[in-house]
Amino acid sequence: MTAYLIRRLVQMLIVVFGVSIFMFFLFNIAPGGPLTGLQQQQRRISPEELARIRAQYELDLYWPIRYTRWLVGWPQGPLVIDGQEWFANVPVGCYMEATPEQGGGCFNYVYLSEMPKIHPPIKSSRGILFGDFGQSTVVQAGRPVWDLLTSRLWATVELQVISLVLSLAIAVPLGIYSAVHQYSKFDYVFTTTAFVGSSMPTFFFALLFILGFTILGGRLQELWPWWPTLPPGLREAVRPYDVANWLNRVDPGSALDRFLHLLMPVGVLTIVSVASWSRFLRSSMLEVLRQDYVRTARAKGLIERVVINKHALRNALIPFITIIVLQIPLFFAGAIVTETVFAWPGMGRLYFDALSRSDYNVALAFIYVTTILTVAATLLGDILYSIVDPRIRYS
Amino acid sequence: MQTKKIFLWTLLVMLALFATACVPAAPGALPAAGGEASSAEVEEYTTPHPILSDLRVRQALAYCIDRDALIASVYPYVEDGAALRMDSFLPQTHWAYNGPYSDLPQYDPEAGKALLEEAGWAAGDGPVRANADGELLVLKFATTSAQFRQTWSAVMIQNLADCGIQIIPTYAPASWWFGDTTGLARRDFELGAFAWVGQADPAGQTLYACDQIPLPSNNWEGQNYMGWCNETASRAIVAANNTLVREERIANYDIVQQEFAKDVVSIPVFQRAEAEAWSTNLTGVIPDATEYATTNIQEWALADGGDTIVVGMTQEPDSMWALVSSMAAQRLVDRAAKGVITSQYNYDFQPVLQDGLSTLESGLATNEVVEVTAGDQVYDIGGQAVTLEEGVEVVDAEGNPVVYDGTSTVSMNKLTATYKLLPFTWSDGTEGTVADMELGAQIDCDPLSGATSLSGCQSIGNPEVEGDIMSKISFSDSALEMTVSYLPGFQGPTYFLYPFNLYPSQQVLSDGRVLADVPAEEWVTLPEIAERPLSFGPYFVKEWNKGQSLVLEANPYYAGEVATPNVIFVFVADTNQAVAQLLNGDVDYLDDSTLGAGAEVQTVIDAAASTGAVDYEISASATWEHIDINMFTK
Repeated sequence: MTAYLIRRLVQMLIVVFGVSIFMFFLFNIAPGGPLTGLQQQQRRISPEELARIRAQYELDLYWPIRYTRWLVGWPQGPLVIDGQEWFANVPVGCYMEATPEQGGGCFNYVYLSEMPKIHPPIKSSRGILFGDFGQSTVVQAGRPVWDLLTSRLWATVELQVISLVLSLAIAVPLGIYSAVHQYSKFDYVFTTTAFVGSSMPTFFFALLFILGFTILGGRLQELWPWWPTLPPGLREAVRPYDVANWLNRVDPGSALDRFLHLLMPVGVLTIVSVASWSRFLRSSMLEVLRQDYVRTARAKGLIERVVINKHALRNALIPFITIIVLQIPLFFAGAIVTETVFAWPGMGRLYFDALSRSDYNVALAFIYVTTILTVAATLLGDILYSIVDPRIRYS
Repeated sequence: MQTKKIFLWTLLVMLALFATACVPAAPGALPAAGGEASSAEVEEYTTPHPILSDLRVRQALAYCIDRDALIASVYPYVEDGAALRMDSFLPQTHWAYNGPYSDLPQYDPEAGKALLEEAGWAAGDGPVRANADGELLVLKFATTSAQFRQTWSAVMIQNLADCGIQIIPTYAPASWWFGDTTGLARRDFELGAFAWVGQADPAGQTLYACDQIPLPSNNWEGQNYMGWCNETASRAIVAANNTLVREERIANYDIVQQEFAKDVVSIPVFQRAEAEAWSTNLTGVIPDATEYATTNIQEWALADGGDTIVVGMTQEPDSMWALVSSMAAQRLVDRAAKGVITSQYNYDFQPVLQDGLSTLESGLATNEVVEVTAGDQVYDIGGQAVTLEEGVEVVDAEGNPVVYDGTSTVSMNKLTATYKLLPFTWSDGTEGTVADMELGAQIDCDPLSGATSLSGCQSIGNPEVEGDIMSKISFSDSALEMTVSYLPGFQGPTYFLYPFNLYPSQQVLSDGRVLADVPAEEWVTLPEIAERPLSFGPYFVKEWNKGQSLVLEANPYYAGEVATPNVIFVFVADTNQAVAQLLNGDVDYLDDSTLGAGAEVQTVIDAAASTGAVDYEISASATWEHIDINMFTK
């Protein structure tokens, strides 16, 4: 087991390194970037000005240099040994490109000796490996990426944990009941509903909820005063509001206000998860129920409840571990669509913002942490497998 | 074993990528082709386009496009679509518009077909016209993948098909179309649609002057993507941007607009509609095409006596420091939470904190003719501070472009302007001083500050030379007043506006330093600048909950009255969500950049009609859609 773990850890490191370099490369070659808007400004942008703006985003540096600065915060300038500068004249980027009339290529190189002036240490990362994710360049210009991530993290964790617990609490009993009562009326209704639920995109449910409980909510209340109108988005309100004739005046920032704001996004995430997980569990359960040891258990005369709970369910849940552990990265990554539609100030929305506005430092930090959590969750899943299923041995 | 091999290969590929990316191209490297071959090469986009270089075809294109139908396709709720139609590159309400310009063809498909016949594109058996050589009249059309553009261009494609012109559309991602080395920037189109954002100052030199055509030889500099070089128009646009007399500017812009209409190098399609909406409980909103609504936010009030106005925005500001940001969301908050020195209502300028506009007429500015010679610092025709030497092109005192011969003397206009501010107090209670003005000039013109543009500073001196700009500004000892001596040749049309930001020079930061002592490169990282700046406006930032809201409180030291004590900007990410918040009564106001002009506007209109709880305004935006015609081919 120890050898297995060491091997997996080494593989994890290679995967994380590979993903980071691959993503950095992809961002580098993708069209667009933080300078995209410049073309739409109705003014002359001289080559000198363009060069200065490119340098603000470190786009003047060769991408491997940018990558090592992002990863380990190196190089920040020439190597200084005993007061003497080494490699000061090594070009690390191109500040301004030459026109074809000037012969093409680079007109003005960035040398290591110039790096501290063009890219002052105060604006440079000490390296993501040392916990410095650098500064946001677009979403919150000049502010530390880590501050940005942590300001959104808890909103996402709150949303994901609550929806995970709810989903499990609903999906597991539903899946079991449906499997045990296969071909019953309940089973038909359940499988059809779950099929519809897992086929529909998240935003469909999100917009349906907003329509029903916000936009049309007021009109529905005229017919049925008990019909609740819910806040359509954000994490908390900024002014008091009424929900229905049975719930007047909810104060902004109160626990009830926070709870009401959670209802719709959690509801959407839960519906989607329950639809797919319960179907998964139903299949898994049906497979186990056909196994010989279940038949043996019944033949021994055990009561059905014990057969289901002790012999079938425990084994049916084993493949479910994979699904559950892979939810761990989502505690960080969030739910992009749900958070965007409900204006939930979480990580998913931040990532969407960062990608659409080419804030590479934020997007890369997000991908980097999500990658680490994903490979760690996969390892955790494999370890849990060996614990819950004695037939599995890693060596 | 297989896995190891894959890892090894992956690592090798990555190392190879690293190595190739780090190898610098040799300076002045020779082109790959041999000498003879390269000398015979023709520069890209200098060969006239076989179809589009013909004026009759361009006119036919304009005749065949039914602009009203295009407008109706994207703005079904706009009752008077014709009000959005354009016949120039300026909206009809702009002070520099002097139309109508009837030379620009309006919808008349029969006239279009006749012109195509005349140009040799005959209608045959098929749906597409062909010339005598059997070549079909097929054109490529490029624009962004935005649904809005796909909608109106679908109508346009059908219009042109009815005239026998086949269009092959490319709906590219905005990142490609507006990329700095792709799409538009490389003139990679035959017909290309996008929008320009109109301004109170019409500018336009980079768009229509002959020397602003992007080509490989000038490193793709300029924004004249059509390749339009009409000497009359080019001279006029340069002259319009190099005089301070409004009448002369109007006359010159008139010439450019006439030539623009005659040559049909770009087809103005329509001004975009823009909508903003607010709760009927909110009063005081002044919708305007060229000014942000929050400029008069101190006058906004809630009819029910509420003490907090909530503004919904789909974008969150990137910084509270206006110098490093160009976001509309930033400006919207900045107007309220920092203050306004001048405003730009109705395509014009009004002083707010500035004590009168520093115009020639007011006597606060002078424009005298000076003689310059080799070695003097001047403002060149391209808008750079340069040393006058042989080959430098400048505009002389008569407004004519002159290429300096290296020896003679040139007469040039030299502008000097005095800017005065009204007394003001920062939101921490300290009085505004001339040191705050000085710090503004110093930081705004420091290349390390991260400023998005230094063009204003380059009209005074060279920002790269330490102290050069500050040496040309004299600050009063007794009043909030400074006099700027601009470089000979600078005749910027907005010279009368106070040119810098104001910063509280005596503000003590959380680390104990005084703001004036902090190097420019650090400013963007300072929470006191980027998140919670002091304000001289009606409000100041009390709290910024990232991703959620920006909470403002009335500035107790503001010189005027503030009708509502609190304002909260909430960030709602999505227009549907923003409208839902408005209809639910959670927000009071949605600006045009949030509400836009899409299908959500109809929801607002319906709600206004059925509940009366919201009000809205749909107006012609300063942003206008157009189709550029590339008259040259690769």
